[in-house]
Amino acid sequence: MQRRDFLKTSIAASAAIVGSNLSAEPAGETHQPIDGRKMSKMAFPEKRPMITYSDRPPLLESPRSTFARGITENDEFFVRWHLPDIPTKTDLESYNIKISGLVEKEVNITLKELKNDFEQVEVTAVLQCGGNSRSAFTPIAGGIQWGSGAMGCAKWKGVRLSDLLEKAGLKKGAHWVGFNGKDNAAYYETPNFVRELELDELDDHVIVAYEMNGEDLPYLNGFPLRLVIPGYYSDSWVKMLSNITVTDKYKSLFFMDIAYRVPDNATESETPDKHFHPTKPITSMNVKSVIGYPENDMKVYHNSHMVIRGVAFDDGHGIRKVMVSTDDGKTWNEALLKQEEGRYAFTEFRFTYKPTKYGKINIMAKAINRLGDEQPFAKDILWNHGGYKYNGIDVVTVEVV
Amino acid sequence: MKKIVLLAILAMSSLFAQVEQKIEVPYISYEIKMGKGFDAVQANCLMCHSFGYIINQGPQSREFWNKKVQKMITHFKAPIMKEDANTVVDYLFQHYGNGKLK
Repeated sequence: MQRRDFLKTSIAASAAIVGSNLSAEPAGETHQPIDGRKMSKMAFPEKRPMITYSDRPPLLESPRSTFARGITENDEFFVRWHLPDIPTKTDLESYNIKISGLVEKEVNITLKELKNDFEQVEVTAVLQCGGNSRSAFTPIAGGIQWGSGAMGCAKWKGVRLSDLLEKAGLKKGAHWVGFNGKDNAAYYETPNFVRELELDELDDHVIVAYEMNGEDLPYLNGFPLRLVIPGYYSDSWVKMLSNITVTDKYKSLFFMDIAYRVPDNATESETPDKHFHPTKPITSMNVKSVIGYPENDMKVYHNSHMVIRGVAFDDGHGIRKVMVSTDDGKTWNEALLKQEEGRYAFTEFRFTYKPTKYGKINIMAKAINRLGDEQPFAKDILWNHGGYKYNGIDVVTVEVV
Repeated sequence: MKKIVLLAILAMSSLFAQVEQKIEVPYISYEIKMGKGFDAVQANCLMCHSFGYIINQGPQSREFWNKKVQKMITHFKAPIMKEDANTVVDYLFQHYGNGKLK
């Protein structure tokens, strides 16, 4: 029995993993992530029912079908919070962002000022959790066992971070910028979910957004304001953004020092027995693609006219091509691409296919970016204990009848 | 430029359509296994996160669960007594373990 099948039959009310038939493995191995998890019966605010790992903090995953299209709808967009106490009421009159630290003058910018006093800009960008597809790793990497739906692509509207920083005026020696949101822990002593980035990482594409796909940000995606850092993993896209602090030195913080890091070696890998040091932050996304249609275990008619669809992306270098294979990777054919939303967005791919053989077939998709980086087969991805940055060639198995 | 002007007008006319009501986030009753030590899990873990957080980590080694509990104490400052910490680790490994110590 395949791991995927095993899990599907054993999952109860939620997306719980309730057991294991995995045998002992000496080194880390990588395979296709778990797919086809049951959707919750319960919908969260402004969302339709999604794959639900936790209600507090909320952790919601998008189903595979979402990725047949290049823009992810707001009500299907994945959700990941770190701390349990998320304000459930926002006073829009008084809500503001405070910019402090090494600045000429400390400023508090209200929502109204943000929308009226600065140039309004838009960027379409992919938001992906660094642990997306973590369930691909064996031994099981620590953390939520995401399938491939901890990602999405939206059109974000807001103002440039650089314009906000300019308003406050950076002082000499300003080097790091810390971002904090309004979510809180249950205990005062628990560290806040603060992200720190170097000033030179923050170009003009970085915005503070209040709108997503032409609507207010959904509550669970960070209403009323969130940071948008195109090309970067989502751990840095702070939600319910309320504080920006400029410093000269890096402040040692749990969520920066321990979480969201990979081995700082050429292959960013290690063995389960011996974790590698030093580590580095996950930062930029690697090249990846996911098939949105068809889905695993679907039946398709012999000689029918199928259009395989999916999305591909990287950290903003841009996708050069997507190759599709229907013979277990022996031969590859180029898919047609739709790239209208810029280099940080999902590239949509489609591939017309007529199944001429009966039985099970594996449909694979492999993206190649403009640097020539291409997705490896899942089995060739080396293990890391956080289960970060999986980008294996996606495989969907259907039966031709 | 035209686009910017238009956006500015739109921004003035609709300052956040979302109503200022309190959002209700649903509660999900996760099916967690009962057994020795469950009381300690309920008393020490549920304050910060749902049972979903536990059961969706996948089956893990005793060392993994021990490190998780230690992380909660050291980094997240959860006030878990030493005795309770051991009880919680025992429970997690028994019910959500992979049979391996390391």
